[in-house]
Order: sequence, then structure tokens, then C-alpha cells
Amino acid sequence: MSFSNEELLDMYSDMVNARVMGEQIIEYIKSGRIAGAIHPSIGQEAISAGVIQAFKKSPVKKNYGTCTHRSQRISIWRMGWKPFVGELLGRSTGVNSGVSGEYHTTDIDGCTIPATGALGGTWGILAGVAWALKQQGRKDEICFAPYGDGAVQEGATYEAMNIATLYKLPILFFVENNQIAMSTPTTQETVLENISDRAAAFNMRGVTVDGNDPIAVCEAIIEGMDLAAKCEPNIVEAKTFRWEGHFIGDPQTYRDLSFRDHLDDIDPIIKYENVLKEQGVIDDRMIVQVHDDERKKVQDIFEGTFNDAPATEEMVMDYNRLYSNDCGGEL
Amino acid sequence: MNNVSMLASIGVAAGEEMAKDEKVILVGEDLATQGSCWGYFTGFADKFGKDRVLNMPLCEQGYSLFSCGAAMMGYKPVVEFMFADFAALGFEAVADVSAKFRYNSGGKNSLPIVWLCPEGAGARSGCQHSQCVESWFANVPGLKIAAPTTPGDVRAFLRAAIEDPDPVLFCFHKAIFGIKEDIPDTLDEVPSLKNAAKIVKPGSDLTVVAYHRALLKCLEAAEQVEKETGKTIEIIDPRVLIPFDKEALYKSVKKTGRLLVSHEAPERGGFGAQIIAYAMEECAGDMKSNPVSVCGKNIPIPWGTLEDYALPSAADIKAGMLKALE
Repeated sequence: MSFSNEELLDMYSDMVNARVMGEQIIEYIKSGRIAGAIHPSIGQEAISAGVIQAFKKSPVKKNYGTCTHRSQRISIWRMGWKPFVGELLGRSTGVNSGVSGEYHTTDIDGCTIPATGALGGTWGILAGVAWALKQQGRKDEICFAPYGDGAVQEGATYEAMNIATLYKLPILFFVENNQIAMSTPTTQETVLENISDRAAAFNMRGVTVDGNDPIAVCEAIIEGMDLAAKCEPNIVEAKTFRWEGHFIGDPQTYRDLSFRDHLDDIDPIIKYENVLKEQGVIDDRMIVQVHDDERKKVQDIFEGTFNDAPATEEMVMDYNRLYSNDCGGEL
Repeated sequence: MNNVSMLASIGVAAGEEMAKDEKVILVGEDLATQGSCWGYFTGFADKFGKDRVLNMPLCEQGYSLFSCGAAMMGYKPVVEFMFADFAALGFEAVADVSAKFRYNSGGKNSLPIVWLCPEGAGARSGCQHSQCVESWFANVPGLKIAAPTTPGDVRAFLRAAIEDPDPVLFCFHKAIFGIKEDIPDTLDEVPSLKNAAKIVKPGSDLTVVAYHRALLKCLEAAEQVEKETGKTIEIIDPRVLIPFDKEALYKSVKKTGRLLVSHEAPERGGFGAQIIAYAMEECAGDMKSNPVSVCGKNIPIPWGTLEDYALPSAADIKAGMLKALE
């Protein structure tokens, strides 16, 4: 698969954007400006960059999907900056006026399906969405069902894969394997080397790629989307690595943190910079420029959104928001 | 339609709605193969096609979540848990997804799903095929809960539930599938889920609120109590629990000053306690005796005929009525 310089740089900007957004969120949490459990994607930026590029590049023009705990950049691509950051910060300018929060964002028009709190059930919801797309003859639309190595241990994901293959649904199951679920390493979650091997149990195709390489992620997703559009459900697994704790402030006593002394060796952004430098697509000056631009972009939107009003009590306690007619229970 | 059983009335209502709106689909186990475990959808797969009668593998969690997804895209799934007890596996879909979706969407999108819950003891099937589940869900804002008893009411309120844009848990009692009555050939007006209570029998000395099999037992007990005491008992079938018809309750309790509630679900945390709370918040000054509840015992339902020990009998209800009338 060939990529134009523009596409390659686009992925680079997305990676840097995800990194600086993660760093900025950590800073805001530490200074008490953000409340709530937010899980930055630091170390896993090649995933969102590759996924977004695949969405742009794929002949499949529309996909419905969910947010995960670490997919802020993808959510922004789906919903736009203000609707997402507003929601993340609990402001009335959020897509659900700040009431849903980051991973329950509900925006059918924006193809954003809410994730379940326990996570694994989300695949079942997306199987239902995929069934509807097929039933309505929407041939160039699919579901993109993302989840981590933790969530895919839930039985609901098996039931969803079973239904998806029984009904031959247009759905791509995507596993972002960062090798740790909160405190539990993947080796203690499953005996499988590759989670995508589970595809065999459902007669599906399953592939595992380097999740720290945005090009590999993008190519695998595009192939997976093509298959899904032909009503061949399939799994793409991308292996990456979580740098931070599960949440900000997590002391991480459960793992050896010596890897943090050599982050440059495993940094997907540095690795990708080297690839782009070899191809003559980027130089040191541009690297600094992209970092400056993306940091400013992130700071501007967050600072601006901090000033937005939170939802009022009237909005939160709005009976019409809960029930569609007066045949509901009282609030 | 003459002599229609409560079981058949479920098929009548679903069939009418499926003929009226092609977005209505059925989702559950054994639906296309045998019209559900209970048979009320027999022939539906032939009539409406397997695209609308979705025969699912045994995966209550999977297909209830699936149904939420289909509803997000404009379908109106009527989802059956073969036994209401199995709704435990669909709890996330019912309580976390369907009930919260409209609220989270800012009031833009509702999920018009009906969760069919065949519930209650009577089939002697033990602790995980006999429970009444309405109170499991009554604590979840965003859900509506219907619990009609008779064939005519089941038909009318199932249609109301399917037409309602919001998720409705629809509870009906398996032990009284066989009760029959004549029902109208066509339903001129689909009722509202609001103000749904019906005075089954008027009276002036005691208000009884009961539904499902407990309602039938209350009618039996009331006949005896009225004969023995000369008092008259008003029996109310709420038919819908959420939204609860509080006005009908207040009106009756203010008149009688006495209240008994009865249902088959365990008493502790049961919906009867909520009904008593509603009454006491509004009518405490009118009360001539303490409210009485005669409900399922707070134990698992035992196997076989032993289940009778765990359930409210007509004799228990009669004793409760006499106590309330003291």
C-alpha cells in the first residue's frame, strides 16, 4: 500500500497530537483542573494515527464505532474538537452537554455509539448496529469495534463474535493490546500469544500487527474494513505498550517500571520520525514545528473549553431528556 | 376474539404491531423455530420473515446488547428472555444501555425496546426459573415497567409498550398464561402507560393493590373476607408500575384509610414497599391502620411443590386483609 507524503505527515501530526494531549491531560489532572478518571494514550499513539488514516483512506466511507478508555484522538476525529473536549471536561458545549463523559458519548449522527462501563458488552451493541446497516442495505458502511486486551476477556465479546459470524455482519473487531489490563499483564489474562487467534474459533480472519507502527496499523485496518464491508467479520489486533498507570496517579506497584529509563528506545513517535527522516519526508525543524503546532492546538482548545459553562441543574434534571413523553417515572 | 388466553394475547399484540410497523422485530431464543419456548410467536417467522424474527443462540447478554444496537439504528426490538430470571444476563443491556441512552444523548434519541419477561412461579421449576424481576429494575431511572395481568390488558399494554419510544420492561406471569377472556377484535385506542390503574372491584373499607397471580388470589380472599366481615374491599390493578398511577392510589386510600399490597416477588425491596411509601407520603393522616404487605417470602423459591411455602397464598392474603381491617 502506498502513502503520499501528506498522508505520512498527517499520521505523524496525529501521533504528536495524541502525545501532547496526553501530557496536557496529565498536567491538568495534577493541577486539579480536570476531575474524573481519564486515561491518556501515551505510548500508544501509533494506534489512533493509523486508525484515523485508515478511516480517511479506506473506500469504506462511513463507520460506526465507540470510544475506548484510550482513544481520545479517534473520538475527536469522529465528533470534532469542541464536542469531544467539552464532553471530556463536563461542559455544556460537549456533544452530550458534558453529562455522558468521555466513553459513554452518544452521538448517532456522528456515528459514535456509547461504550458500556464494563467495556466488553460494547461489541454486542455494535453487532446490532452492524445488523441494522446490513438490513438497510447500506453497503459502504461498517462497524468498527475497538477494545483493549482487558475488555476482550469478557464473555460478551465472544457472544458478539458468534452473532456477527452467524449473521455475516459488516463489522471489524479491533483489539488494541497494550499488554496490561489495569494491573494485570496479558499473560495472566489469556494463554494465547495473539488474541486475534480467537478468530479461528468463529471461522473469521484474524491478524496481529505491530501497534507501534502507524503504517502497519493503517494497512491492517483498511484490509479489515474491506472484508467487513463484504460482510466478513474479522479481527485486527495491534500490539502496543502502555507507558503510564491505568489512571493518573496510579503508583503502578504491580509492575517493573525500569522501562521508563529507556523510553526513547520504545517510543513509537521517535521510531516513526526515523522512518520519515530516512524517506526524506521530515527534518528536525519540521519535527519541532509539528510539536509546537499540536501543543498550541491542544492548549487552545482545552483552555477555551475550561471557560465554557458546565451543564446547569435544569439541564441535568430535565425530565424530557430522560423520557420521550410524560409516561415516565418522576425524576 | 373469543376466549383468548393470556399467552395468546401476547402473540396478538406483537402480531398487530409487526403488521403495522416494519421496524418492529422479535429477538430471542427459539423464536423462529418454535415461536419461543412458550409458543406465542408460532408462525411469525413464516408470516414476517426471519429478518424480523431473529432466532438467537443462547446468549442473553449478546442478543440483548445486539438489540440495543439495532434500536440505535431505528429498529423497535421486542426482546424475549425465555424466563425473566435470565434477564440477569441481559442486565447490562436493559439497565445500563437501554435505560440511559436517551438521557446521555441529550434527549435526542430514545431506544424503543420492549424487554419481555415471562416471570413468576407455578411451573414448579425452582429458584432460577420462577422469580419475579420487576423490582430488580425498578431502581433504574430511564426504564418503564408494565405488569398487566389479564389477556385484554396484556394485549393492550404490550401494544402500548411497543409503540412507546422508550425502553419498557414488560412483565407477565407464566402461571396464569391459561386465563381466558373475550377481547376486542381490534383495539380502537392503544392505551397510555400513564394513569393506567384499573379498579378491578370497588369497595370502601380496604384498598388492595396487587398484580399478576397475586391479584387473582386477592380477589379470591376478598370474597371470603367480605362475606365474613360485611366490609367491602377495593381492589386496584396498577397494570403499569413505572409510571405508577399515584392518583388512583391516593383516591382509594383516602377513601378507605386502609391498605394492603400483594405481589409474588419477595417483600424486601419489592415494589409493594414503594406503593406503601407513595401512600404514606400522601395519605398518612387518613390511615386507620398500618399498611400490610403480603408478598413473596425473602427466600429463594424451592424446587417442585415446595415453592408454595415461599409464595403468598389466598389464605395469607385473607389473614393480611383481616389484620388491615382491624
